[in-house]
Formats: sequence, structure tokens, C-alpha cells
Amino acid sequence: MEKMNRRKFLTLVGVGSGAVAAGAMLSGPGLFGGPSGGTSSGTFSFRAVTGLPGGALPSYASYVVEGNVNVAARSGIVARSVYAGYPGAMTTIALPGFTQVARVTDVREAEGGFEITGVIDDASQLRPGEDPVVKVQLDRSRGLARTRFLGRDVGLKIHA
Amino acid sequence: MADHLDEPGLSPPGGDPSIDITDVYAFKKSGQDKSILVMAVNPLTLAPTFNHRALYQLEVDTNGDARADIAFNITFSRPHSEQRVKVRRATGDDARENEVEGGTIITGRTNTIVTRGAYKLFAGRRSDAFFFDLAWFLAGLPLPHTTVADFFAMANVDAIVLEVPNSALGENPNIGIWGRTLLPEDDDDDDDDDGDDHGDDHDDDFAQIERMGRPAINTVFMAGARKRQFNRSKPHNDAAEFTGDVVGVLTTLGGALGGASYDAATAATIAGILLPDILTYNYTSAGGFLNGRRLDDDVIDIELGLVTNGARTTDGVGAHGDLLANFPFLGPPH
Repeated sequence: MEKMNRRKFLTLVGVGSGAVAAGAMLSGPGLFGGPSGGTSSGTFSFRAVTGLPGGALPSYASYVVEGNVNVAARSGIVARSVYAGYPGAMTTIALPGFTQVARVTDVREAEGGFEITGVIDDASQLRPGEDPVVKVQLDRSRGLARTRFLGRDVGLKIHA
Repeated sequence: MADHLDEPGLSPPGGDPSIDITDVYAFKKSGQDKSILVMAVNPLTLAPTFNHRALYQLEVDTNGDARADIAFNITFSRPHSEQRVKVRRATGDDARENEVEGGTIITGRTNTIVTRGAYKLFAGRRSDAFFFDLAWFLAGLPLPHTTVADFFAMANVDAIVLEVPNSALGENPNIGIWGRTLLPEDDDDDDDDDGDDHGDDHDDDFAQIERMGRPAINTVFMAGARKRQFNRSKPHNDAAEFTGDVVGVLTTLGGALGGASYDAATAATIAGILLPDILTYNYTSAGGFLNGRRLDDDVIDIELGLVTNGARTTDGVGAHGDLLANFPFLGPPH
């Protein structure tokens, strides 16, 4: 899989531009150009999605967490964004103010997958009081991911 | 998300934010026998202009049957540096047609206030008057609500603002108002509109793409493909077609938020208030929502308490400070 450098990645997700339509074409193979899975060369990508708000309320938007991670080097990038449209009808319209990009600082194997830790270096992407540390748990055996959205634990479905 | 982005992909192909209605407002003009009708579209101004092929329509029900008796039909010319806009007023059966019917009452250009007789018109980019902590909603309305933020504070829309004499809204002051956007059934963009015809080249049969009366009905109560079905349907069918959707949310939401959900009978009663999705308005009254809707009415707080059975009563944000005291009332764009 082709690796993507940070500069190109940031351009793709529109970080810093304040743009609404970030142009991230998520209906296709995802930001990292390929399906979740393969750990060739110790690198893998993933993409997980869930509806927001969910629960008793019909989903209005889609929360997308995706990343490209090098297990051996314990490095990579994780991005979290909110797109207009519920899962299944998700658009490429990234809602402004919700996109966060974290630099991966640690990757550990966990039951069924990996636990990824990262840090959001751009403070402008943080809400008041929000922890810059990002954790993403990937349970690839069950196809589920967990991370936080505005302080709440959120479960997402990993999309191949 | 009063109705912003309520159905991603509003029209094939690829969606069209320029016909995505964000809000509809109706309020009495202070000290005068006139009303202000507003239909805002283009959430987050994702589209560059109004759609020159579309029919923007403000429907008025004058007898309580949830069917249009008066329609203000607004069309635009192909965009150049600006767009010409024409407003027609249709009545009776013509008001219910998916066609551009009615006599012309006022014409103008986008981003310019024009007056003709008792009518006044503005169509163009303005500050979005809607206010809501969208992030809090997306997070599932958690408490304590510590990070209050108005997602729409810096957002713009494209707005059609129409000042009309109340006599143009019918003799009965108790009316219902909703907005519709329609596109030609023929998908070919082969007209020869050169932009100098005041938007006259709209002789197609249209199909309804989007509609809205009260805020947040579609966005809150309709799930998945039902959002599209709701947008394509007519208010007079709401009770029969969508009561179940509304009751489904009302009977679960309060409990899910740690409070008490409505029982089915009460939920059905409330659904009967919320549907049909029409903005009820007595044009002799300056009272706000649920009598019409003023630009600064905190419709979300009003609806939150109702929908959650009191489990949540406020999103913590208030009206924008950029509203104008005079026409077109919406603040200048950011």
C-alpha cells in the first residue's frame, strides 16, 4: 500500500482551510487508498464509521475514524471527521469544526486487534478542555472500533 | 439542522444544496398590516447561487386542510454576476400545481432590495439566523452540557425574504405556511436562458424535492430513507404517513436521556400537533413560535422540552446578534 505523507493527508482532509467540503472522498476506498486490513511491511490502514447521534434519535451525520498506522515504527496518522448524512447515505460534506488529525505515538497489539494512541498537535482542532490524546481501539476480529466523540465513548463499525 | 442537510443527495445527481431548505420563517411586520416570509436554502453555502432551474415555493394554506391555497412561486435566471428573480402569486388549484403558475407580483436582482407596491423582496446571501449547538446534539444531548457552542454562528445561507400585505395571505388570518423546492422532471438543462428574462424560462413540469414547515421535524424524527420520503410527500398526508415515525422517537427518547418517555397515547397526541409539518401563523399576531416563527425565536429550546418530555430543556445558545431591525432582517453575510 502506498504510504501517504502528512502534508498530503492534511490537504485531503482539508484541515486548516476551514472548508466545509473537505473533499475527502469517503464513499470509495477511503483516505488511505485501500481497504482496511493487510499489515504488509507492518503498515495497515483502517476506516470505521458510525451514525450520530444514534441511540433513540435517528442518525443525522456519520462519524468517520480512519488511519494509516505503522505498527513496527509505532507511527502514523489517525483522522476523525463528521460528515453530513447517516451511514449509508453519507456525503463528502465534512461538517466544519469536527475534523481532528492525530499523530500516532504508540501502537500496541490488543485482543482482536490494536490499541492506537495519538496526539492532536493542532490546538485549534480541540474544544475547550478536550484532551489532545486520542485513543482508538480496533477489534478487527469483531469488526468494531472504539474511540471518543466529544468526551463520549463511541463504537464504530470497521469498513473493509 | 433546523432542516439543514436533512437529506443528503437532495436531487440526483450528486445532491444540490441550493434547493436544500434550511429554515422557513413567518412573522408580522411591526406596526403594519404586513407579514415577512422567509425561506432560506443552501446550508453552509455549499452551492454558489440559487438554482436557475428550480422552483422555490412558499405555500399558504388558508382553510386548515393542509393543502396550498396560495403559492408564492420564486424563480431565478441563470447566474452571471447576479441572478434575476421573479415572484409570482398563484391561487386555488394553481397554487397546488407543480408548475410555475400565477401573476407576477415583483421582480428584482439577487442581493438587492426591491419594492413594488405593497411588496418588498430580497433574495441573496445572508447570515444564517438559525442557532443550535449541533455538536451537543451529535453527541446525544449529554449532561452536564459543558461545552456550549453555536455551530451556526458564522454560517451563511441564501435567503428569499418577501414582505407581503396580509391581504395577499387570504381573508382568514389563521394560515399555515411551508416551503417547497422543485426541479424540472425533465433533467435536461437545455434551456436558452440568457439571464435577461427575469427567470421566465420555467415552463417545465416540476417534481417536489424538498419541503419544510416547522424546524427539525425531518431531521429529528425521520430515519434513513424516510427522510427522502418525507421530503417528497405533501403535508396533507403527514398524519397518515409519518405519525408512526414521530411516535417512535417520542416513546423512546426521554427514557434514553435518563428521563421518562411519553406513553404511546400521549406521543400520538403530540405527533398530532407536530404534523402536518406546517408553520401555523395568525398574521394579526406578533407572537412568535408556534405562532409563525421569528428570526430570534429559540425554536430548539421550545422543541427540546417537548420532544424529550422535559429531559432536556435548552441547548444553551441564543439568537444571533447580527439580526437587522429592518428589511431584510437577516444579518449581512459573514
